[in-house]
Amino acid sequence: MIRFEKVTKAYPGPGKPALDSVTVEVEKGEFVFLVGASGSGKSTALRLILRETRPTDGRVYVAGKEINRLAGWKVPRLRRQIGTVFQDFRLLNTKSVGENVAFAMQVTGHSRKEIRRTVPETLELVGLQGKASRMPDELSGGEQQRVAIARAVVNQPMILIADEPTGNLDPATSNDIMTLLERINAETDMTVVMATHDESIVDRYRKRVIELEQGRLVRDESGGGYGGLPTTTPQGV
Amino acid sequence: MRHLLTELRQGLARNVSMHIAVVLTLFVSLTLAGVGVLAQREADKTVEYLGNELQITVWLCKADDDRPGCLGLVTDQQQRQVERTLEESPDVRSAQFVPQEEAYRLAQGLFDAELFEGGEEAPLQVADFRASYRVTPQDPQEIEGITSAVQGLEGVSYLSDQREELAPVYQIIDYLKFGSLGFAAALLLAALLLVANTVRLAALARRKEIGIMRLVGASGLYISLPFLAEALFMALLGVALSGGALAALVQFGIIDGVSTQLRFLPWVGWSDYLVTLAVIGITGPVLTVLPTLLLTRKYSKV
Repeated sequence: MIRFEKVTKAYPGPGKPALDSVTVEVEKGEFVFLVGASGSGKSTALRLILRETRPTDGRVYVAGKEINRLAGWKVPRLRRQIGTVFQDFRLLNTKSVGENVAFAMQVTGHSRKEIRRTVPETLELVGLQGKASRMPDELSGGEQQRVAIARAVVNQPMILIADEPTGNLDPATSNDIMTLLERINAETDMTVVMATHDESIVDRYRKRVIELEQGRLVRDESGGGYGGLPTTTPQGV
Repeated sequence: MRHLLTELRQGLARNVSMHIAVVLTLFVSLTLAGVGVLAQREADKTVEYLGNELQITVWLCKADDDRPGCLGLVTDQQQRQVERTLEESPDVRSAQFVPQEEAYRLAQGLFDAELFEGGEEAPLQVADFRASYRVTPQDPQEIEGITSAVQGLEGVSYLSDQREELAPVYQIIDYLKFGSLGFAAALLLAALLLVANTVRLAALARRKEIGIMRLVGASGLYISLPFLAEALFMALLGVALSGGALAALVQFGIIDGVSTQLRFLPWVGWSDYLVTLAVIGITGPVLTVLPTLLLTRKYSKV
């Protein structure tokens, strides 16, 4: 589903590359934790999958296509196959919960009929039934993240990218969000790549762990915990 | 479509003062550009009417001519002498005789009809006009040979050079044309920059929204369409305002104004207005859509 082949990404200026010859593959339906300290290259890896940036060297494949060769106008079609969730939710505060979720369908040209049918279903999936008309700032952090997850999965993408989705949440709420992501992964066979600093979650859920350190792949372990190697700094910064 | 209209309404409401500034700047600059186009057409009309070729007119004495060289109406002998001189001059390409009756007839087309009414009592009679030779020189730059040969001949009242006669008219038209086009160019540039700024501000205000649109895979066109609709809307408003102003100028300034007072010149009318309207109708949208297209490409880049 996602394959990196000797991917190097160097930003202009001196210093080490953000990613240094990383080769890794994630299969369809997998749930993967991407761990590492700040500046280890996690965000760069996610940006490469979304083709928000291109590799300096090497190849990135998503759903069988080499995306760094993708023409600019085809990028939106790629992004429709990928749902994204962030630490800061990124909801539109001027729109209601339902409108926020519907927005993702509107901009990709779905009919009003489809939107009316799919949005409530998706809100139910994330446990927000009956809250479609609420505004984001009336919701708790955990609920806001659920809205963001609903928006990310409403177009039924093949991949869900979650960048520190529990970073702003307390442990109990983080657990709920994690359970939700796991359920979506299991029920829909959606590939989930979750970048995280959250040691307890990684240790508890025992998924495949891909660890980056200063741009290099230092660990790729199925069912691993957070601190697999003594050289890593678990808490990050 | 619904999305587009909603976005258009929100976009226009978001930054009302800026949009008003853009529309007003467009209005003034397009109007000035329109005046420039009309002046250009007026100049063309005048040149066509008065003849592009430089001519010297040799006016012959009329009966009560008070010019110093005249002793009453030019005699046939004097006229033949003038004609011979012109024919023999190497500087003359052609010379055309315009008799008094012809001068009288031409004047009827230029001045108020009442000046010619009343038969013997009319304010203007054939005898009030001078017969003339319209001389086309070989080289418009070399007319001294002709003037020195003809000037001073008996029966010659005076010589006139069309360049001198028409200079003020051409000058006014030139001032109008270049003045309005110059101001228009400066203002059109201002409009262009204002549009660019407006788009930048609007894109900034919608940064989060655009970011989310890009993430969920909205196409570049979908993202920039509301901006383009806004640009087009402002352009059409500007064109409409300036079209109205120019129509008022043509009706009240020209048709009811100068053309009634300066009747010896042909004046621009509604057909020229339509051409002008077409020019500003294209310029306006291009001015707003072009920078919007360029800038939104930048902001909506995926």
